[in-house]
Amino acid sequence: MIEIRRLEKTFKLFDRPLDRFREAVTGHVHHSCYKALDDISFSVSPGEVLGVLGRNGAGKSTLLKLITGVLLPDSGEIEVDGRITGLLELGTGFNPELTGLQNIIANGLMLGMSHAEIEEQRNEIVEFSELGAYIDEPLRTYSSGMTMRLAFSIAIHADPRCFLVDEALSVGDGYFQQKCMKKIREFKQRGGSILFVSHDLNAVKMLCDRALVIEGGSIVFQGSPDDAVNVYNRIMARQAEEEEGRRADRDQGAYGSGEIQIIQGKATGRESLASSISSGEMLDIQLELEAKKSIEEVTLGLLIRDRFGQDIFGFNTFQLGETLSFAAGERRFIRISICADIAPGKYTLTAALHSREHHLDDCYWWCDGYLQFEVAGFKHNIFSGVCRLPIEMVTDTVNKS
Amino acid sequence: MLDRFCRIKDSLPVILHLTRQDLIERHTGSALGATWTFIAPLVNILVFVLVFSRIMGARLEGFGVDIDQYAYSIYLISGVLAWTAFANGIARITNLFRDHRHLVTKVNLSLFAMPLSVILAEAIVYAISMAFFIGFLLIIGFPLSFYFLLVPAVFLLQCLFVYSLGLGLAILSIYLKDVKEVVAVVLQVWFWVTPIVYVTDILPSWVMHWMHFNPFFTLVESYRSLIMLHKVPDLLPIFLFTLATLFVLGLSVWLLKRTERDLRDCL
Repeated sequence: MIEIRRLEKTFKLFDRPLDRFREAVTGHVHHSCYKALDDISFSVSPGEVLGVLGRNGAGKSTLLKLITGVLLPDSGEIEVDGRITGLLELGTGFNPELTGLQNIIANGLMLGMSHAEIEEQRNEIVEFSELGAYIDEPLRTYSSGMTMRLAFSIAIHADPRCFLVDEALSVGDGYFQQKCMKKIREFKQRGGSILFVSHDLNAVKMLCDRALVIEGGSIVFQGSPDDAVNVYNRIMARQAEEEEGRRADRDQGAYGSGEIQIIQGKATGRESLASSISSGEMLDIQLELEAKKSIEEVTLGLLIRDRFGQDIFGFNTFQLGETLSFAAGERRFIRISICADIAPGKYTLTAALHSREHHLDDCYWWCDGYLQFEVAGFKHNIFSGVCRLPIEMVTDTVNKS
Repeated sequence: MLDRFCRIKDSLPVILHLTRQDLIERHTGSALGATWTFIAPLVNILVFVLVFSRIMGARLEGFGVDIDQYAYSIYLISGVLAWTAFANGIARITNLFRDHRHLVTKVNLSLFAMPLSVILAEAIVYAISMAFFIGFLLIIGFPLSFYFLLVPAVFLLQCLFVYSLGLGLAILSIYLKDVKEVVAVVLQVWFWVTPIVYVTDILPSWVMHWMHFNPFFTLVESYRSLIMLHKVPDLLPIFLFTLATLFVLGLSVWLLKRTERDLRDCL
């Protein structure tokens, strides 16, 4: 169990390193402050997984460091019963010259295990890491994934009461990640407390019993993982908007040679007639193009990205077998409709005009995030994941013969 | 206070591991491996014996030594081995927190315990060197007395001093990088100021007067008294040295307690 009460941590910023020392000894103030954590209180009961969400720099790492005791708080109390280990210390004390087996001892000691405990757990650690014969090879020959597997195996087998999982978990491949998740659940069932810090919202929803959102050093939300993820998304969206505003100041960020441009555009749902649509609804994209010179074989490309900037779907008119040609000074409307069978969330639409199949030959015009739209709710059946794929299902009774 | 001792105790396995890393694992991958830990001390002693017994041997008459040919070597080795442990200890502890930043910022290690790993490593190297030294003394037939058994006691006192001074310097060096360089220079001067390679007799009397303020002089005199003269060293300087050590220890511990929170932020 982890109990945190009114935790505060301020980092002092100094002009000169010597000022820092003068203040530490004499107590005279020579600094300006940066409040990393402000009045943080929460607890994680045995058998509970608490998710921690927050932007980069929100104070998550500081919080973890305070709990492990690597940093000391200004005020407040931290109570942890039993050993606390975590992926924060992923591979601490690893020596690349030593074999995997020898490194188990090194890292195990760092995590506070005794020699006897390490000896006892050794086989299980080796087995879980699936390193096989590589365990007797020097660590420098390992890939980063192998190193991470070994590190995680040691950390989870250190038999902690409390486990801190930082983002490090995302290093391994899908298979090993699932194995880790399973192990973490087992650990939870045995009554361990877990503090799960991640940007993987899906993992937070799946694994955590509760979650809190940290923003600017304070807890802005504490509750169910689903609600926490929404709060977190709102914070992220606000950040994205701020950035967008900044980008708008810079002429929308379009670039290219400018022989032909998109001068106007909008994306609306066929039924909603607004930029907010349901999943499965047709999205009508209307663009007005203007050519300064006469151009043959123009390709129009569109790319849908989600709020993390991941490409969801992209295509261009060249791939569709359409060729566009413009006379000098010509203006034309183009309407493209896409069935938006994609998951709820915020999306951006990047538009580009270039010659032939890709923009690397001649790029006339390119604008990242030219249009925005949001998918909310489902028009058809609910699905999970990024997009809907066509499904066919047949059931048949098997005749015993 | 009790809490602090518990934390030092908890950190001990890691400290032992760091020492091991220092002595053995550093050489992992090399053909001779841990044997390298023994080679340096052996070569040191061989050099002192072979080179200096011929060149400087005759200059040391009247130091109560029967085998004049080797007298200077014995004089030199008893001082240099202790100095090596002393100087290496201080220099390395000074850089300790910075060198092990990757550990200090990730694992909850007691900062009070960490210098012990250096002390221990240096003590082991000293012990190995002393074993070779004793072997050499036996070979040349130098009489060994029971006073030799008191050498570890003096060495223990030396370790306490190195720990105390080193800890204080380690804290300072976090705040001020220059401390590392200053320590290196001061140790260099300190070596030549102290009668380690030369004999006390050649110093003018006013220098000798000040020499009593040199902690390492007290130590080296004690070693020589035990090893070469077969008698208990003057107790007054040792008593004063102990007092000074405890004072430095108190100061360093106070400093670390006072600055630990800040220190950890800083790393």
